[in-house]
Amino acid sequence: MSALIELKDITKTFLTEEIETRAINSINITINKGEYLSLSGQSGCGKSTLLSLLGLLDASTSGTYHINGVDVSSLTRDQRAKIRSEQIGFVFQSFNLISDLTIFENVMLPLTYQSGLSKQVITDKVNDVLAKVEMSHRKDHYPSQLSGGQQQRVAVARALVNDPTIILADEPTGNLDSKNAQAVLALFDKLHQDGATICMVTHDPVSAKRASRCLEMFDGRLIADNANIPSHRNSVPSLEAVELAAS
Amino acid sequence: MSVLIDIKYSLRLLFKAPKFTAMTLSVLVGGLSISLFTFSFLYSTLYKELPLPGGATALALTTETIGISMNMDPNQNLLSAYEFRQIAKTQSSLIEFGLYESRDARLSFEDTGKNIPTTYVDSGFFKFSRTQPIMGRTIQQEDMIVGATPVVVISYETWQNELSANEDVLNMSIRLNEMLTTVIGVMPQGYHFPGVAKIWLPLNQSQLNTKQNTSSYFTAYARLKDDISNEQATKNLSAVLDQLYQQSVELYNQPEAKKVIHLRSYPMEQVNGIGNTAFIFLNAVAWSILALGCINVGNLLLARSIERQKETAIRAALGASSKRLISQLMWEGVIITIVGAILSILLVGAALDYTEIMLHSWMPNSIVFWWHWGMDKETLAMAIVVTLVTIALSAFLPAWRSAHQDINTTLRDGTRGAQSKKAGRLSRLLVTIQVFLVAFLMLIGALSGYVSQSFINLEIGDDYSDTMRVTINLPINKYKTPQEQAQLFETLLDRIKSDSSVIDAHATTFNHFPITLSEFDYDDSRERQSIDTFTVIGDTEFSGIKLVAGRHFNRRDKIGARKVVLISQSMANRYWPGESALEKNITIEVEGKDESLYIVGVVSNRMNPRSIFGKLDSEDETYISGLQFINPRQRIYYKTIKGSVKTEGIFYRALFEIDRNIELAQTVQPAERNRNIMRDSMRLTSKVIFGTGLFSLMLALVGIYGLTANSVAQRTHEIGIRRAVGATDKNIINMFIKQGGRQLITGLGLALLLFALISAVFHEFSVGLIPVYLYFVLASAVVICLSLIVMLAIYAPTRKAVVMEPSSALRYE
Ligand SMILES: Nc1ncnc2c1ncn2[C@@H]1O[C@H](COP(=O)(O)OP(=O)(O)O)[C@@H](O)[C@H]1O
Ligand SMILES: [Mg+2]
Repeated sequence: MSALIELKDITKTFLTEEIETRAINSINITINKGEYLSLSGQSGCGKSTLLSLLGLLDASTSGTYHINGVDVSSLTRDQRAKIRSEQIGFVFQSFNLISDLTIFENVMLPLTYQSGLSKQVITDKVNDVLAKVEMSHRKDHYPSQLSGGQQQRVAVARALVNDPTIILADEPTGNLDSKNAQAVLALFDKLHQDGATICMVTHDPVSAKRASRCLEMFDGRLIADNANIPSHRNSVPSLEAVELAAS
Repeated sequence: MSVLIDIKYSLRLLFKAPKFTAMTLSVLVGGLSISLFTFSFLYSTLYKELPLPGGATALALTTETIGISMNMDPNQNLLSAYEFRQIAKTQSSLIEFGLYESRDARLSFEDTGKNIPTTYVDSGFFKFSRTQPIMGRTIQQEDMIVGATPVVVISYETWQNELSANEDVLNMSIRLNEMLTTVIGVMPQGYHFPGVAKIWLPLNQSQLNTKQNTSSYFTAYARLKDDISNEQATKNLSAVLDQLYQQSVELYNQPEAKKVIHLRSYPMEQVNGIGNTAFIFLNAVAWSILALGCINVGNLLLARSIERQKETAIRAALGASSKRLISQLMWEGVIITIVGAILSILLVGAALDYTEIMLHSWMPNSIVFWWHWGMDKETLAMAIVVTLVTIALSAFLPAWRSAHQDINTTLRDGTRGAQSKKAGRLSRLLVTIQVFLVAFLMLIGALSGYVSQSFINLEIGDDYSDTMRVTINLPINKYKTPQEQAQLFETLLDRIKSDSSVIDAHATTFNHFPITLSEFDYDDSRERQSIDTFTVIGDTEFSGIKLVAGRHFNRRDKIGARKVVLISQSMANRYWPGESALEKNITIEVEGKDESLYIVGVVSNRMNPRSIFGKLDSEDETYISGLQFINPRQRIYYKTIKGSVKTEGIFYRALFEIDRNIELAQTVQPAERNRNIMRDSMRLTSKVIFGTGLFSLMLALVGIYGLTANSVAQRTHEIGIRRAVGATDKNIINMFIKQGGRQLITGLGLALLLFALISAVFHEFSVGLIPVYLYFVLASAVVICLSLIVMLAIYAPTRKAVVMEPSSALRYE
């Protein structure tokens, strides 16, 4: 099995007003193609930060990071932007659609930052993914005219449009009611069945269970990594789990 | 109570961001001060009533001979005594109508003397100005009779400064133009009607009772009858005057033209009636600058209100009425504007006081007595109006816009609703307007700067340093024949030259005569070219017009001898390229008679620019002998050794030894005086224009930087999203530059369009003062300079936003 993503000894420290926050503390993860990961843990334990590092939205303080065997920890800003536009798909908790652009334009955005795509190819791809998330009928609307669930489906479409190597989702159901949340999760299930690699941050143990592999974090460390085993209901990790991570 | 809370809250916000407050305030104070100062200065100069009883109805009556240039008609704007008498006889539009003439008189003491601005007036003059003397009497009918005792009315200032405030000033005798003259009255302090007069002498009856061809020319004062409008009176009087003029065209060979009358208020007359145009134009420029300031302030406040959009929405959701919300958001703008207005009023007050002192000391005898600049009620009223407009534009609008946002959208979307899209559109429109205004100001500034610089640096080709100039008029009843007149001028020049500190002297007159050169074909067959022609008694070497070939005039070039001419080098080259022009003949039409002239000399070139807008004329000049073409009115120039003092006295001594009764048309003064005053004022204008241009450029820089920084800041989150989905730094910067570029092109395009229009008009008006390609050079320079600055103002804040990691940008609210 080929390792799609390999994090080795990744640490991230924030410096704000002389106070040092170690958001990520020497984390090692290997992600294989086609895996569906869930990442859970207390609020503030570093899940979003880890996702940012995975998505190259931020640079780690130390450690190495390989995507498809390429070391990306030492790339220039432009090279990282290129990888983001070609290999990463992001879904945020607060949707993060651009309010001045239509649904169609929002979804098209990642493709406009890739070079050498014809207009026809772009249009086809966008229509394709919009159909996949069942939002084709709203493509000329603006985000503010859509419900939260609809906006999140559009955000998923945007994350898919560039055929990413990995889809990163940061609490994608956090702002949604349960009905809409189910719809989005069902979408992820379907993507997983179609072979996509997904890493999803979630609070909700039920959602986490849908993944093929469950990671759990505490205070910047990875404390559990269980294939197909549901995580604990309580957010405070067991003592043995903490010890496991420390060892 | 709630208002107090709002004010307190606004103050806290202002103090919390001192840099923002200081920047907003300085932009505002700059804009307000420039527009207020311009308004106040022009209003005081042009529209203040004459500060005399009945001053509002006092009119200056002047004439215009349409179709003749200033140089052709030395009496342009004036009314002859004959014309005055004829009009006075028949007119029914005016209740008061009289004549006066302003020219300097010489006040002499034992061994020194000085020139005093004087007005020669008729007996109705003081009644017209509704002013009584504080002592003695004014000029009466009997003072004007031939042979009457010479009398003078003096100003309070003359009494105080020249006559040491002598208590027994009445009936005192003073020497005026070497004539013992009795002081009969003292006018009140500050009275210098019709402009700068320090003393008043009676006009002589004999000057007034003349035929048209021997008439002197005067300015007239007039007051309309109650039941007639200015237009109607102007029309009636012009009709009579033109009829008289047409007679003299026929009888006395006057140049053909239409002669009309202007009835203007004294302040308007002082600026030749161009007051309204100047007022509108300069105010338009000043208001553009204020508009720039307002846009900036408005934008800065808008940015603040957008920052607080969510807060506003929450307040609205909690039940605040939109009136409450507007009031709350407005206070910040209101406070800044009011503080700015107060600072501006203080600043403008000081600037006006400084202007008053500076102008009065700079041109003591050219500033008319009603010109006073300072903070006055008109300016204060304008300040209040401007402040209210500024509040409306820069505080109320952003507040209103912000308070009328869609609460739902804002609450759901955070700061990134459809509202920010509208705000973005508004901000882009503002950038476009700014670019337009600044480009326009810069274009106009560059144009006028170029014009004044080229005038300042104009090489005329002569040299009048250390040279004095005086104009005299021989009484033709005493010096009847040309020979007698020539004899007198020769003697006078000899006397002047005999003074040990005089280097040389000559007498000259200026004419503009048609020329024909029989040997040459003219491309322009319609009419013969006119050429600058000077008569010269003596030689021109000392005034910088130097001999290149042949000889200067001498005493033998007189009546009866062969008529000779000197021509300028450019003329010699034009007509006799590659050969000597000496001993050739040219024909000039001197006063209607063709004269064949023999070229005896070629002299260096010299320009004779008539006005800054007149075409810089060709350097073709001819000089004919003043002893052969004799004029009783001559301008005398004499150059003294560097550092000589009291050089005026040299002329007066020489003249009074010969004849005490010769009239000076203009007193002795440095020959370069007018040119220097002109250049000084040009220099000042050019500095003011430059300063204003620089300030508006700075405003634009601050404004566009602020607008872009604001729009970038608002879009930080969006930038984060775009970067998250793969945008590179270049993509982001390009996005902003492209957007700014669109506004730049629109604004520049509009400004260039307007500039092209103005240039076309100006080009026509200035008879090609500036070569056409220079308009393009100026325009390109402005386009390049402004584009660079706008791009920089856009690039800088964008660059700053781009260096942020996308993850931080996404957290940004
Ligand atoms: N840009 C940042 N600057 C400073 N501190 C940060 C930044 N991003 C995250 N942190 C800190 O890092 C820790 C982890 O945050 P985050 O990854 O957002 O947690 P989670 O997503 O698990 O709730 C928190 O203590 C947070 O305050
Ligand atoms: Mg998080």
